[in-house]
Amino acid sequence: MSLQRRNNVQVSGAGPNTMFLAHGFGCDQNMWRLLQPVYAKRYRTVLFDLVGAGNSDLSAYDKERYGTLHGYADDIVEIAREFGAGRNIFVGHSVSAMIGLLADLKAPGLFAAHAMVGPSPCYINDGDYFGGFTRKDIEGLLETLESNYLGWSSTMAPAIMGAPERPELGTELTNSFCRTDPEIAKQFARATFLSDHRADLARLQTPALILQCSDDMIAPLAVGEYMQRALPRGTLKVIRNVGHCPHLSEPGVSSGAIDEFLAEQGL
Amino acid sequence: MTGAQELLDDAACGLARTSADGVFLYVNRTFCDWVGYGGDELCGRRKMQELLTMGGRIFHQTHWHPLLQMQGSVSEVKLEIVHRDGHTIPMVMNAIRRDGGGGPVHDIAVYVARDRDTYERELLLSRKKLEELVAEATRLQLELQDRVLFAEQMVGIVSHDLRNPLSTIQMGAALLSRGEATSNQLRVLGRVSRAAQRANRLITDLLDFTQARMGRGISILPQPMDLRATISDVVEELVMAYPGRRLVHRHEGASHCVGDSDRLSQLVGNLVSNAMAYGQTDGVVTVHSSVGQSTFTLAVHNMGTAIPAQIQPMLFRPMVRGAGDAHSGSGVGLGLFIVAEIAKAHGGTVSLESSAEFGTTFSTVLPLAT
Repeated sequence: MSLQRRNNVQVSGAGPNTMFLAHGFGCDQNMWRLLQPVYAKRYRTVLFDLVGAGNSDLSAYDKERYGTLHGYADDIVEIAREFGAGRNIFVGHSVSAMIGLLADLKAPGLFAAHAMVGPSPCYINDGDYFGGFTRKDIEGLLETLESNYLGWSSTMAPAIMGAPERPELGTELTNSFCRTDPEIAKQFARATFLSDHRADLARLQTPALILQCSDDMIAPLAVGEYMQRALPRGTLKVIRNVGHCPHLSEPGVSSGAIDEFLAEQGL
Repeated sequence: MTGAQELLDDAACGLARTSADGVFLYVNRTFCDWVGYGGDELCGRRKMQELLTMGGRIFHQTHWHPLLQMQGSVSEVKLEIVHRDGHTIPMVMNAIRRDGGGGPVHDIAVYVARDRDTYERELLLSRKKLEELVAEATRLQLELQDRVLFAEQMVGIVSHDLRNPLSTIQMGAALLSRGEATSNQLRVLGRVSRAAQRANRLITDLLDFTQARMGRGISILPQPMDLRATISDVVEELVMAYPGRRLVHRHEGASHCVGDSDRLSQLVGNLVSNAMAYGQTDGVVTVHSSVGQSTFTLAVHNMGTAIPAQIQPMLFRPMVRGAGDAHSGSGVGLGLFIVAEIAKAHGGTVSLESSAEFGTTFSTVLPLAT
């Protein structure tokens, strides 16, 4: 199966280097709708949906492969090899920041820089480590997911196909950006929120920006600070924002911070 | 105006307006009654997400919030609100994002969905039960497959290992009959020898059966052969094996064909053994062989009770025996299965005709050149 179809890869923009934009847990590549046009002026941009999300090929979802973040990281390596040109920049939101880190460790040199938006290496509190959640909280999330299929249904998918960029098409598109097969959503939630990649942080040799929101319950400030201490070449940048999606709520501030970091890397 | 205010305050659904961060700006009375807080405790003091359970808050951050940003509205989201006294209330919510003058605001409508929640929980529970049942059934099926495979392998191994002691018995009986045995002893030795031969045939059948079942089919080595002579020899041997019974051979047409002579002898042996077991004991069993234009035929006929039409198609399956013959002890029900397998390996077919008037005939028709 082509990677393009499997991950609904959308290449646009122009520039000597390539920027990969990876969405996090919950929605799909539409999350980059405000930032991608900005970067398309300077970079070749590659948008995609993680397998199981958005308009990815659901038949490609394999319980074993995607049971941990490593399966997603293997996909990123494949995508970056096929669609990369020049130096590759990986911009990952939330869990995708860690997926990008794992991909980097699998293929050292594949990426020249990481911009991590609201990353967390471990969501569950552990001794002195504060991740923000208990295991019970995550169980609660799984229950909430079970009763919120948000526009997913086996008969609805074809109606949405091919029109994710045109929300004006009306009610049929309601909630489609967060559309996921409920089974897959649950497994992705487990793979995400039960992951612990703290030990991998010290191995990342590539420069990384930690774009930290001042008030983010998914990735609290303490997590961003922990990451800066653990990453050999990490830069912490805290921006004023409530919530977990600064690229949607504060696109200008977010791109400003990313630009500054990329300029320092000569990108 | 007051009517409109009343409509808002005491609406049949809870209404709330929050800032983009989630801080309450307005709540109606219905909302306050449901969640147990006064309007002054909510407005400007609490955030919408603070009323949610922890799981709900994560969902709010990862789904609700981005959806509102991207498409300007969310609908039919079900979350649990924590009442002031600690119990939770399932609620279905719609929200739209609009420009409130001083920045974007979120307008939210909620209604209590206890019955729906109960119903959904029951659905989820029965789905879980169903999944468990399916998993259990799958597990049992795999276990069964394992056991069948093990049993078949076991049959193969045991059959193979029985061959050596059996050939010792056969050789011993043959050696003893060459010595100075009394006529009584010779008779016993004859019985020993025939019993050993029969046991050997059963073992051959079992080995062929396991081979066929393991998916390799029965192997044959077709070579030019003299059909009349081969079958004639087989029948002669079989006559010795069934003392007191009448067995004859009839041949038509030419003699030359291509086939595996050992396998075809086995085929005839199995059909005759069948005829001896199920046919009339005082009747004649006839082996017909013939060579035609493009095929050659082997058939065995006996008189006796007709085989009921409904069980005829099942006879070629392994472990199936004729009705009411469990006492005959003539075998384990593999004979006809192996006949069919040998015919299949030669590219031929087996059929049977059975009536009280004309007796029973099993026929195999095989292509002349394989």
